[in-house]
Amino acid sequence: MTCSAVDPVALTRARRQVFLALFIAIAVTLHVLETLLPTPVPWLRLGLANIMTLAALYLYGGRAAWTVSLARVGVGALLLGRLFSPGFWLATAGALLATSAMIIMYRVAGRRLSPIGISAIGAAGHALGQILAARLLVMQHAAIWQIFPLFLFFTVFSGILTGWLAAGLLEQLRQHPAFQSAATGQGARMRPLQLKDPL
Amino acid sequence: MKTPWQVMTGGDWLVVLFLLGVSLTGIIWIATAPAGSRVVVISGEQVRFTAPLGQPRSVVLDGPLGQTRLVIDDQGVRITESSCRQKICVAMGPASHTGDLLACVPNRILVRIDNPDGKEAPYDLLSR
Amino acid sequence: MAWNRPLIIVLLAVLLALTWWRLQPEDAEIRRSRLIMGTVVEIMAEGLESSKLETAVDAAFAEIARLDKLLSVYHQDSDVSRLSQSDNGSQVTTETAEVLALGLDVAQRSGGAFDLTLGRLNSLWAISDGARRVPGQKAISAALRGIGPTSLSLDGRLVNKRMPHLQIDLGGIAKGYAVDRAIAVLKQHGITSAAVNAGGDMYLLGQRPQRPWRIGIQHPREKDAVLETVQVSDQAVVTSGDYERFFVQEGIRYHHIFDPQSGFPARDCQSVTIIADSVALGDALATAVFVLGPETGLQLLTQYPRAEGLIVAADGTLHASPGWAHYQVAP
Repeated sequence: MTCSAVDPVALTRARRQVFLALFIAIAVTLHVLETLLPTPVPWLRLGLANIMTLAALYLYGGRAAWTVSLARVGVGALLLGRLFSPGFWLATAGALLATSAMIIMYRVAGRRLSPIGISAIGAAGHALGQILAARLLVMQHAAIWQIFPLFLFFTVFSGILTGWLAAGLLEQLRQHPAFQSAATGQGARMRPLQLKDPL
Repeated sequence: MKTPWQVMTGGDWLVVLFLLGVSLTGIIWIATAPAGSRVVVISGEQVRFTAPLGQPRSVVLDGPLGQTRLVIDDQGVRITESSCRQKICVAMGPASHTGDLLACVPNRILVRIDNPDGKEAPYDLLSR
Repeated sequence: MAWNRPLIIVLLAVLLALTWWRLQPEDAEIRRSRLIMGTVVEIMAEGLESSKLETAVDAAFAEIARLDKLLSVYHQDSDVSRLSQSDNGSQVTTETAEVLALGLDVAQRSGGAFDLTLGRLNSLWAISDGARRVPGQKAISAALRGIGPTSLSLDGRLVNKRMPHLQIDLGGIAKGYAVDRAIAVLKQHGITSAAVNAGGDMYLLGQRPQRPWRIGIQHPREKDAVLETVQVSDQAVVTSGDYERFFVQEGIRYHHIFDPQSGFPARDCQSVTIIADSVALGDALATAVFVLGPETGLQLLTQYPRAEGLIVAADGTLHASPGWAHYQVAP
């Protein structure tokens, strides 16, 4: 068997699987490393793992973004021993809202936004998800909303940072042949709406 | 690698400014709340303790993890000791404005400042 | 548009959650008053949805009415009336026996300051019915004959009267017991925050939404003033005062709390407020302390470690039991 006999569609699919797995691994690593850093307030982390979720979204589409983000939360929790702890549910709620927000924004305004904008929305969604989960699980008192504006303020900046890093990563990756098909959207099932698409 | 400003599009700026605007509005709204007059301590869903802000006092509250100490003085109310691991509650500093919050989440203690005067009757029922 | 499936699932879940949350029956608060036991009984309850609260409150009122028929001196067929009419005593229901047991205990510990057998004395003065005359000494002595903490004995549900003419009057502790039972009914219906107030003798269950219950204590001489405010949860607050039912003759105030030793209204206090675990106990103690006066009254309270009291002495000075400050609301 020679490489030239390989079916291009199967190759694309195989590449997607392998790279997503790699993205997940990198995301988990970033997440775990982050938790080792000291922070003034807990839960206030940079969210660098989101770089990989963004990369998956841009290269492979919304489904892939879900894969990376949910797997990262799960595996990260397993590694850190926090599965099903309150913090785990906060992170999961944050990830759910963040990923949903990012995918919606990507679909709706992907042409007019860069990864930075998408990431900022994702960060806001993450903050909102965590506050909602905290309200339900940790503090059954509406007063928790007092923390939200300050929380949101800081997450916008971390969102810009991760978005910028993701943009840089995407630029580098797209130059490599392994990602060519992904970059042109042939491997993705979703891409931003173009004006010439039939509706 | 391009700088963030080179990457950001007009749409990005809209999003970022919108989010910052929302959060700043919220922050200002909370920071300009009037000085509170009463400290309320809540554990879980129940109010455990209330006291006015004017009188200096020190109180120890029990929670699932152990004890948390609250001190009320002329700076407001703050948590001075707690049996949680990270002591974030202690680092939160004094609270004195209406709506301010202090919390020791692991020990399930939530401290709020509110301003009940003029909004409610001095008592619910009269014993005679 | 080819929306991706996980996104749709998440959005649907969010939508469902919001709808479910919206459809949750809302917690309500209700206040209902009825005229029972010769006074206005008000019940406040909250924390469940309206229909459940209404059912519970109705059941509570029904229980109070039932106990009123059992314990009141104004009902001919009540246990109390039958007991008064009998020669040696009679069998009573379990509830009556409970009330009697509590009353007899306080009667004994207070050295007779609280007494369950003042039926004749009360009828003689008839202050509750609005009479305004001071009975003669002979009539009073006759009414006091045979009373005392040992005049009744309780054996299970059998009550023995030492003298056939003794008239039983449970007084306030019957009302107190009814309030306690009404609270029990509310609890059975799942209510965790309520107040049952029978003319100023009340039980506070749980807390208000944001804080414990706050109860003002009537100033004995100034009509619109409050002496103090206390903060309570899961407790009874009972006040006995010389300002509730009284008349004044030749400058002397005659009120409805009698000293069993003299047959005349007790003179040492203007009002007594007791915080206790039950309204029945609170009422018995309030009466006993009122009769005993500030010093002896506070001594009696030491025998009930979970009860606290505030006494306004005849000269207007305040005396409080050691643990009273725990309940005071800082002004």
